[in-house]
Amino acid sequence: VTDSTKAGAKPGARSSEPPGARTGEPPGARTGEPSATAGELSAATAGEPPAAASGTSSTEQGAKPSAGDRATPGVLGRLRGYLGERGLGGAGPPAMITGRASFARVFGAVLAFLFVVEAISGVALAAFYAPSSTDAWASVAYVQDQMLLGWLLRGLHFHAASAIVIVAGMHLVQTALYGAYKKPRELVWWLGILLLLLTLAWAVTGYVLRWDQAGFWANKVELGIAAATPVIGETIKKLALGGNDYGNLTLTRFYTLHVMILPVIVGALTAGHVMLARKLGPTPPLGAGDRTPRPRWPEQTLRDVIAIAVVLAVLVAYVINLHGVELAAPADPSQAYDARPLWYFRWLFELRELAGSAEKLVALATPAIVIGALVALPLADRAPGRAPRRRLPYLGGLVGLLAVIGGLTVASLVGDAGDDELARRDAKAEQRAALARRLARDNGVPATGAADVFFTAPMAKARAVFATRCNGCHGADSKDRKGPIIAPGHGSRRWIKAMVQDPSSDEMWGRTKLATRDKAMKPFAQMPAADLDAVVELIYAESGASDVVAARRDHGVDMFESACSDCHTREEGMPGSGAPGLAGVGSRAYYLSFISNPKSALHMGRDSSEMPRFDKELTLVERDALAEYLVWLRTATPADLAALDR
Amino acid sequence: MADEDRRKFLKVATCAIGGGVGLVMAAPALVLLADPASKVTVTTPTAPLDLGLVEQFRVGAAPSKVDVVAPFVKDAWTSARNVVLGGAWIRRTAPDKLVALSAVCPHLGCAVGWDTAAGNFLCPCHDSRFSPAGDKLTGPSERGLDELPLAVVDGRLQLTWVRFKPGQPVREPA
Repeated sequence: VTDSTKAGAKPGARSSEPPGARTGEPPGARTGEPSATAGELSAATAGEPPAAASGTSSTEQGAKPSAGDRATPGVLGRLRGYLGERGLGGAGPPAMITGRASFARVFGAVLAFLFVVEAISGVALAAFYAPSSTDAWASVAYVQDQMLLGWLLRGLHFHAASAIVIVAGMHLVQTALYGAYKKPRELVWWLGILLLLLTLAWAVTGYVLRWDQAGFWANKVELGIAAATPVIGETIKKLALGGNDYGNLTLTRFYTLHVMILPVIVGALTAGHVMLARKLGPTPPLGAGDRTPRPRWPEQTLRDVIAIAVVLAVLVAYVINLHGVELAAPADPSQAYDARPLWYFRWLFELRELAGSAEKLVALATPAIVIGALVALPLADRAPGRAPRRRLPYLGGLVGLLAVIGGLTVASLVGDAGDDELARRDAKAEQRAALARRLARDNGVPATGAADVFFTAPMAKARAVFATRCNGCHGADSKDRKGPIIAPGHGSRRWIKAMVQDPSSDEMWGRTKLATRDKAMKPFAQMPAADLDAVVELIYAESGASDVVAARRDHGVDMFESACSDCHTREEGMPGSGAPGLAGVGSRAYYLSFISNPKSALHMGRDSSEMPRFDKELTLVERDALAEYLVWLRTATPADLAALDR
Repeated sequence: MADEDRRKFLKVATCAIGGGVGLVMAAPALVLLADPASKVTVTTPTAPLDLGLVEQFRVGAAPSKVDVVAPFVKDAWTSARNVVLGGAWIRRTAPDKLVALSAVCPHLGCAVGWDTAAGNFLCPCHDSRFSPAGDKLTGPSERGLDELPLAVVDGRLQLTWVRFKPGQPVREPA
């Protein structure tokens, strides 16, 4: 009667059992009948356990709740009573531990929590993610750089996966040390191995989703290895890619795996893993320690949440310190990249390097051997005892395996850290990533795809063309410069003035053939300053600039007539007399015309220019982009130009 | 008694720490999910949009539909060019008098069409009818069609695109 009163008591009247009162019941490892002790404890913790306390009669149980309700008619109590009568309140038999509560038992709970972190951050990120080859990178860059706390959730999502690998590894090692894989717990062990593998696969499916250089190239290598699997390799690769090559279907498939299929499978297997482990009861401590069964709640649960809080604090601090997780430049199959796998695959990466020509075989066979060894452990080690001393060969093998994995990981990281060439390439890749993300933030990513974000930079196309087609002859830094330097300030008043004063100076036409002929323009160094400024203003005005000083330009018209018009003309569509026509000089249309055909009579004329015509070599769009760039250079400073590369 | 206190303390401590952990995880996720609601995620051009030469609209003709195209729209992470924002009905009642009516029905936002037989505007969703001048005739719409600001610059029609709140008698920009 005492027991059933307690079992039926409402939460308000909290029943508490002094530890001494508990009988040293065996953990009830098999039947799941936690006996009166456990039933009573579940009542104490979780309220009404409908028929859970198998020791007491169900009629007694059924009669109690209403009486209890009347005794403590709190709203919460009534709600629990209501739900309890309908089969919701209370839990099954409580989770038990054997022996004292300890921080050594927190790993499972911490792992479960880390999966919750992944779920929460994953859902938040999914609300911003677009699994398409044109948008994936852009959407990730958007949540990382433009959404409030997006970087934090990305960082948590990424680094919690690393934490899962670490804690799962500790969980595995602990299980092995305790001999908890032994009969009857082989299935729990095997499910755990399977879960670890699925978790690693889960990470692989997530890494490619960002569609940056790092994730893209790592995936290429991974699928390349998978494709080397005998017989089914090519099929696996095509199934994963969703066809013959990387594209939209690759992302939609990996996304489906990552957010639908793997969560369901891993969730179900985890539930099985935990349920089975609980049903079999916890492995008792090694040696002759305290083996009293106790409920997890609250002694062990408190330790669980403390461990969880510490892990979360470390994780958050780490993520804040790194400002989330890096995002490389958009995936670009034409841009080489030093692909590195996620750190927990580094050991395989290093092993492949060491294996040389047998790399694919090693990359496939080694994981198979490691997995096989772990799976075989309970089959091989069948002696009844769990004392570590008697299992030295097995534990030694496991420690050796972990040491090799750790050693290879360190070797790979150390090798990279000492590679100066790699560091240089990485720095360049980081610069490119920073530029892409800045442009994405400022200009948005073109609908044509993330790789085109680089062309949203002002003058990006023109500068790319200039660098390859113009800089050789016009770059101040070019060793083979043949023509005038084209740099910021080109076509400005200052530049025109310098040009008029000394057209054949080195930075002007001094290196051209023209400069050496007697047809070359004479320097106007001795021209009175006011007259010179007037001519400069007149030529400057031809560019269409909006800051022309009208009076000075008008004076320039007279000066031009007396000093320049013997050779040059300002008349539209007219060639000068053996010298370039200056109508519209410095305007976009003029530059387009000049670049298209400098040998035109309107410009330098057939014999006076070494510059080739570009109307056949460059598209109209490219030539026009160059013309726009030259107009932009007129008012640009070297700092403006450098800012484009920032 | 001391043990009961201890257990009570353990339970409270567990719940407190657990609650703190839950808050630390849930809060940033909720902040992130709510963030777009406080931002302009899709830009709308504020400058007038070119509809072409005025000559294309004949005096006294039936209203003609034009697509309102934004030269540049930033939609979250994407920057897109030449995005169709919606339609407008242009009517030229006199050589110097042009009127633009938004084709967005003021009732619930469907696209309003021109009923040639009846000679008035008809919304296909709920059968609201509007006169050629845009006044409400029949149907559930609370107000007449919304007029859009128009200007003629160098012989070209310039329209300013505005979206109005649907479903209310008062005309106010959305």
